[in-house]
Amino acid sequence: MSAPASLSAVEPRFFTRTQWAAFLVPTLLLALVLPLLNAFLPADSFLRPSDFTLNLYGKYATYAVLALGVDLLWGYLGILSLGQALFFALGGYAFGMHLLLMIGKDGQYKSDLPDYMVFLGYKALPAHWEPFYSFPFATAAALIVPGLLAFVFGWLAFRSRIKGVYLSILTQALTYAAALLFFRNDFGFGGNNGFTDFKRILGADLSSPDTRRWLYVASVVLLAGVFLLYRWLTRAKFGHLMQAIRDGENRVLFSGYATARYKLFVFVLVAAITGLAGALYVPQVGIINPSEMTPEKSIEAVVWVAVGGRGTLLGPILGAIFVNALKSWATRAAPELWLYILGGLFVGVVLLLPGGLVSLPAKLRAFVARLRRSGDVPVADASKPSA
Amino acid sequence: MPRLLAHLLLLLALLAAPLRAADEEQDEPAPELAAPPPDRARLVAALLAPAAEQVAAVRALVGAEDAAIEPVLTAWRAGELFLVPLPDGTRVPATLAPAAAHAPGAAPDQLVALAVADGRPILAPASTADSPEPNVRNTNIAPAPLLIASRQLRPLDTSAPLRRAIRDVLEVAGVSDPRPHVRRESIARIGQSHKTEHLPLLLARLEVEKSSVVLRTLREAVALLRLSDPDPAVRAEAFVTLGDVRSLIAAARFKEALALPVGDPSAPSAADAVGMRRSLQRIEGHWARVNFAGNLFRGLSAGSVLLLIALGLAITFGLMGVINMAHGELMVVGAYATFVTQNIFVSVFGAGSAGFHYYFVAALPAAFVSAALVGLVIERSVIQFLYKRPLESLLATWGVSLALQQTFRLIFGPANVQINAPSWLQGGATVADVAFAYNRLFVIGFAALVVFGVWLVLNRTPLGLLVRAVMQNRQMASCIGVRTTRVNMMTFAFGSGLAGLAGACLAQLGNVGPSMGQLHIIDSFMVVVSGGVGNILGTVFAALGIGTVDQVLQPVLGPVMGKILVLFAIILFLQWRPGGLFPTRSRSLD
Repeated sequence: MSAPASLSAVEPRFFTRTQWAAFLVPTLLLALVLPLLNAFLPADSFLRPSDFTLNLYGKYATYAVLALGVDLLWGYLGILSLGQALFFALGGYAFGMHLLLMIGKDGQYKSDLPDYMVFLGYKALPAHWEPFYSFPFATAAALIVPGLLAFVFGWLAFRSRIKGVYLSILTQALTYAAALLFFRNDFGFGGNNGFTDFKRILGADLSSPDTRRWLYVASVVLLAGVFLLYRWLTRAKFGHLMQAIRDGENRVLFSGYATARYKLFVFVLVAAITGLAGALYVPQVGIINPSEMTPEKSIEAVVWVAVGGRGTLLGPILGAIFVNALKSWATRAAPELWLYILGGLFVGVVLLLPGGLVSLPAKLRAFVARLRRSGDVPVADASKPSA
Repeated sequence: MPRLLAHLLLLLALLAAPLRAADEEQDEPAPELAAPPPDRARLVAALLAPAAEQVAAVRALVGAEDAAIEPVLTAWRAGELFLVPLPDGTRVPATLAPAAAHAPGAAPDQLVALAVADGRPILAPASTADSPEPNVRNTNIAPAPLLIASRQLRPLDTSAPLRRAIRDVLEVAGVSDPRPHVRRESIARIGQSHKTEHLPLLLARLEVEKSSVVLRTLREAVALLRLSDPDPAVRAEAFVTLGDVRSLIAAARFKEALALPVGDPSAPSAADAVGMRRSLQRIEGHWARVNFAGNLFRGLSAGSVLLLIALGLAITFGLMGVINMAHGELMVVGAYATFVTQNIFVSVFGAGSAGFHYYFVAALPAAFVSAALVGLVIERSVIQFLYKRPLESLLATWGVSLALQQTFRLIFGPANVQINAPSWLQGGATVADVAFAYNRLFVIGFAALVVFGVWLVLNRTPLGLLVRAVMQNRQMASCIGVRTTRVNMMTFAFGSGLAGLAGACLAQLGNVGPSMGQLHIIDSFMVVVSGGVGNILGTVFAALGIGTVDQVLQPVLGPVMGKILVLFAIILFLQWRPGGLFPTRSRSLD
């Protein structure tokens, strides 16, 4: 609602010099220094990140790409999509098909067919699996399949001006229906076991530390690239238009912009990129099954964004890492408390910290300033994004 | 004495337990207490008759109206019928049974003799003297049953012709059994047996049969036996009768016969084929209508369940604009409240007692109140800060739902809990061949009642007026002096209580577990959205429509595909009508 202030503050430069530094230093550290340390330091060195750590960070990086997508839609465009986990998992499935075919005869049944097909009594590979022998095709499919689904669904939804809560519920239903479909054995994608037991990618052994290091680097590079892309998108006039649609779609519509097309474009772009992140996620965790595409997973991704700070591009990344790190700690330390922690995090962030983690320094500064000027009238914090 | 009293009470409870009436058949008119039927004397006489007359006496039992004939003859044939000698020299035909049930305190290996004449245990003589028989020992208490230490009595003899006679009598004994369902089964079996020699027996029964249900089976059986009659006119009449009684067995036979190639020796004649086809058409038409009606009924009841769940949501989401993802968990609160009420009733009245079966009456208010209280706490602690931020209420309430699920797990354990339906919700009635299960009927009626109640509250009470005012324009209502915080609180608690009621009902239909709420939440949101938000009537139509379509599709596509199809259909439907069935008309624009 308080749009005019942000509209007037058009910043001409993509990044200031300090911002470049703030972007490049951590990126280089994560994408270059950590893998080098991991590769060349002796195993018992204090400075060497373990293989497990790198793998974990790689996973977080793909989650962060998913969270960035949620944020671009929710924080900038005002669409709370609960179908992002579906796009993520669809990308994962498309790439998983390739990985499954790459197992070759090394599976349990020593057959050319994937194990579950042998188990279910398939005689030959279904025709739509054939092209997935090709790595480029599978990668393209990881982009195109989620993009296509997003296009069809988004075209239908935005055309009839479904928005707000209704869109959230519809995307949730779509995800739910898709999960039900993938849970079925006769749908042909491995039922509730999904795909697993992958052996190699591009001829390289998936269990070797070298391969895993490269997957990690790829994830970080993807994250950095997506960050730059979204930064550019939100900084351009397009970005202002997105925020204008978020704050008052009808006004933008009456100003002569076909808002549905803008929304559709962002929705499809985000779905495709999320699918790519899913494709990178699968070889790192070694499994993809329908529980990855449930509405709950989508909501979890929304929570990362809410915790990190919506309407900023740094927030989702921080949120994805923070919540997942908390999860891996809590599920080990106090499994029965994890749901309480997660639930409490939701409620706490929504009620007490609507700006997320990234708004914390500003809040602290304001708090300290208020303490110093004790006696003065307390100043209200005006930096909240509107719903 | 207290012990006897306890047994008496138990007996009373057992007698009171079968309160329900299965179909329209009255089972077991307490045989032990009623006077033995007149035909019983003939049975006893046959047992005591000299061996030469026994065959004739047994054959004469055909058509006797006595439920005891079958078990007694079966026992006789199996060598489990005994003549118990009494001190006065008479011998009484009896079967043996473990003594524990009739004489408290008896050793587990002791037996009592149940007299054929009245089914009661034979009592020991009043004298304290030992019985002349070494194997029979009487006890000192006068009215106690005669206890028999071991099975050293000789079973009553049977000869080969006698066994044949028994078999023949047993085959048709059920036809004249006093219990209607036994009669029906027996008659149906004879009807399918192709044994035309039983036709006279069935025709005789046709004259005296009074139960309409049995009469139908009887007519069917007679017509089935007459299908092999040499006279074409009799056969033609049988075809018509079978069509009249909508016989499924006949339909199967006709289909088989009509499928035979022309020239086959057992193929029906041209006239017969015409009769068969006409009859078949009537039968199949009838059963297609029955199936359709059954599907409609099941769909209506599934829709009513959806309606019950969605009604609370229609208030909290539709009217208040709060996306309450914890709605499913509020329902689970109601279900667990039912479970707790059941357990309290079990510990007070005892499991299976007459009082226990009314626990559900107490469980409904308990479910409403407990869910409303939990809803109140959620509203006060979380939702009251989020009325202007609906999307964020989704996140916060999802957090609440996670915490609630974990709480259920900690209190009630991760496994499903067992809830026993009260006896008056078990079973069902059959009207015109369509089966109506009582629990489904109850859900339909209850949903109708709740809808009416909600309408009454919203449209005919001062609270309802305030609710509608606040929901239409919170600020304006606040300006004219409505205490909006209080109204919000009450409305949310009301919607939550409705969820609790839905949970109590659902507990009668399916499993109750910590994650049960998640199963229904998406469906019920879809119902509210497709019905049109802010509109109770829309929710009613959407719930019944979705439930029925789902139920009609399920037999064709399987449970999961049907559900997926319905979900996609709703998504497409919203393309056509984005505001749902009954959209709220408004001139406001953001």
